[in-house]
Amino acid sequence: MKGLSGLFDNVRLAFGTLWANPLRSLLTLLGVVIGVATVVSMMALIEGLRLKVTRDLGQLGANTFTVSKWPGGVNFGRIDWRRFQRRPAFHLSDVQLIRQSCPAVKTASGQTGFGLFKVASDRAETSPNVFAMGATSEWLETTGILGIAEGRFYSPSEVEEERKVVVLGTEVAAQLFPGESPLGQTVRIGGKVLRVIGVLSKRGKFLGLFNMDNIVVLPLTTAMDAYGKDHSLRINVVAQGPELVQRAQDEVTAVLRRRRDVAPGAPNNFEIDTNESVTRTFNNLSRVIAAGGAGICLLSLIVGGIGILNIMLVSVTERTREIGIRKALGAKRGRILGQFAIEAVTLSFVGGIIGLVLGFGIAFLARWAFGFPTVVPPWAVVLALAMSSGVGLVFGIYPAARAARLDPVEAMRME
Amino acid sequence: MLIRLEDIRRYYTVGEEEVHALDGVSIAIEKGEWTSIIGQSGSGKSTLMNVLGCLDTPTSGRYILNGQDVSGMSDNALADIRNREIGFIFQTFQLLPRETAQANVELPLVYRGLRARERHERATAALEKVGLANRVHHRPNELSGGQRQRVAIARALVTEPSLLLADEPTGNLDSATGEEIIRLFEQLHSAGHTLVLVTHEPAIAARCPRAVRLMDGKVVSDGPGAQVALESRAERARAAAAAVAP
Ligand SMILES: Nc1ncnc2c1ncn2[C@@H]1O[C@H](COP(=O)(O)OP(=O)(O)O)[C@@H](O)[C@H]1O
Ligand SMILES: [Mg+2]
Repeated sequence: MKGLSGLFDNVRLAFGTLWANPLRSLLTLLGVVIGVATVVSMMALIEGLRLKVTRDLGQLGANTFTVSKWPGGVNFGRIDWRRFQRRPAFHLSDVQLIRQSCPAVKTASGQTGFGLFKVASDRAETSPNVFAMGATSEWLETTGILGIAEGRFYSPSEVEEERKVVVLGTEVAAQLFPGESPLGQTVRIGGKVLRVIGVLSKRGKFLGLFNMDNIVVLPLTTAMDAYGKDHSLRINVVAQGPELVQRAQDEVTAVLRRRRDVAPGAPNNFEIDTNESVTRTFNNLSRVIAAGGAGICLLSLIVGGIGILNIMLVSVTERTREIGIRKALGAKRGRILGQFAIEAVTLSFVGGIIGLVLGFGIAFLARWAFGFPTVVPPWAVVLALAMSSGVGLVFGIYPAARAARLDPVEAMRME
Repeated sequence: MLIRLEDIRRYYTVGEEEVHALDGVSIAIEKGEWTSIIGQSGSGKSTLMNVLGCLDTPTSGRYILNGQDVSGMSDNALADIRNREIGFIFQTFQLLPRETAQANVELPLVYRGLRARERHERATAALEKVGLANRVHHRPNELSGGQRQRVAIARALVTEPSLLLADEPTGNLDSATGEEIIRLFEQLHSAGHTLVLVTHEPAIAARCPRAVRLMDGKVVSDGPGAQVALESRAERARAAAAAVAP
């Protein structure tokens, strides 16, 4: 009770110092504010990505893996792209080979992207940012995530016969054919006229970055004929069951090594990516974000600490007489030390709160404006406030100790 | 015996020189006495008061306050003594500018460790005693000089100390207001408080039952206030004449 009211008194005094010169206080707290805002928004981004990846991977299913000549996912560090470029491409025949000669494989599809296009109907057109993909008819089954909202996906024979058909992502469909069915209508993509046979179900953004609803999918053969043949395929493979994923990978590896003339003992000239490798990629990503965030955060906390040190030294100097009076009236060193330490902690705690609000704001803005899947985890709030208080304590101790050591007679003589 | 000073010395080193602010002061003060300390500027009055108030530690000598030898006490122990035994009244009031009269008076009780309610009651009573019951929520800059000094006196009284120390309490006040403060001291004396009043004005010393005159850090006379005040006037006249003489 006694200690509590003393604490309250000191917190009140701290706010007195803050209000005495709000602009100066804000400027000196800026470091703490930036530090905490950085931590909170970084944590929000990492946490959001983590949740998103977990959810996306959950939809992907455990039985799927991909084969490509390119390394998968987002990569960091130096990558010799030419090394991958020189590798032989994957073709439709490789997909067929995997499907036919690997018993542990349930099915496999080939896909490749052709870049961003403008899609036009008779009345409307999209921005030139629709991702056009060519894929085999098994694609829907192998990605596992996308269903068909309307119409149907194309058949193996439509791929074989290079039919001019297309399946639209929901966003593309909504833009081109608002309030009517797109089925049976024609669209133009990169100069080719295609008939719409289906619309994909809504999917959202993958990892918050790639909009899976702003795509068009057409038969691989049709796409290659229209937009270029020299694309290496990505092959999506589904194993017969969860326990057979490893076996399927081994079979696929063996078949492809033979097919691509890889000498015994030489490394694969292709990449196999599983959910785990995507997870690993994500972990890389969050480590980079965290390291960058920690750097900025540490720097701004040191700057913030110096700000606190400065404002407290000024406060002690300005209030030398007050300290003298308090000591004359019986305040012991510990009381004065406590008063100024609590004041420093309160100040930086206030900075922490402002930083927290700012961090939430940044996280919200990042989600709203750029679609980053930010989520502020509760422990980031605790961490941020603990951190700011800690900075206040560490950098407030020295000025507080100086105040506590003042000689009352000298101090009271100050103007 | 409330106070016994034995051969108290307080030396300051200023550059190469040693200043003897107090140079072997020995006095004793009884409980309930009202003593003034008179002397010219620089004679060591404030230094003596700081020693009496345990704000300053003498270079040598012994100081017994209320039966305790405070000469060798630690900083924190002295803070406790100041809080329990001593009430200060300063020439420049020394109030906390951002706090109300009430909060200023409560401050020593905060360091005594009293609960808010008791602090409040006692501070209100002390402010009433000095005639400021209707000014409790005013801040120092909203009060006149005399009222500020009354707040300071209330703050000195609130802990019920065994010794009230006043250093030139009327020095910053006009003569009418100063007179009111001296009357207040007279009342406190009648009520049984022990008072030590530092002044350079013989007129004020003359009204105290006892006066101690300092010169260059030494006690040069100690007796009834009226008599010491006379001596002090004579000394001043001599000094003035000497200054004018060729
Ligand atoms: N902190 C100090 N450092 C050096 N000299 C001091 C200090 N305080 C007081 N003195 C000197 O001690 C002497 C007595 O000072 P003081 O007690 O303030 O005199 P008074 O109050 O009688 O005017 C003076 O000569 C003064 O200059
Ligand atoms: Mg003086």
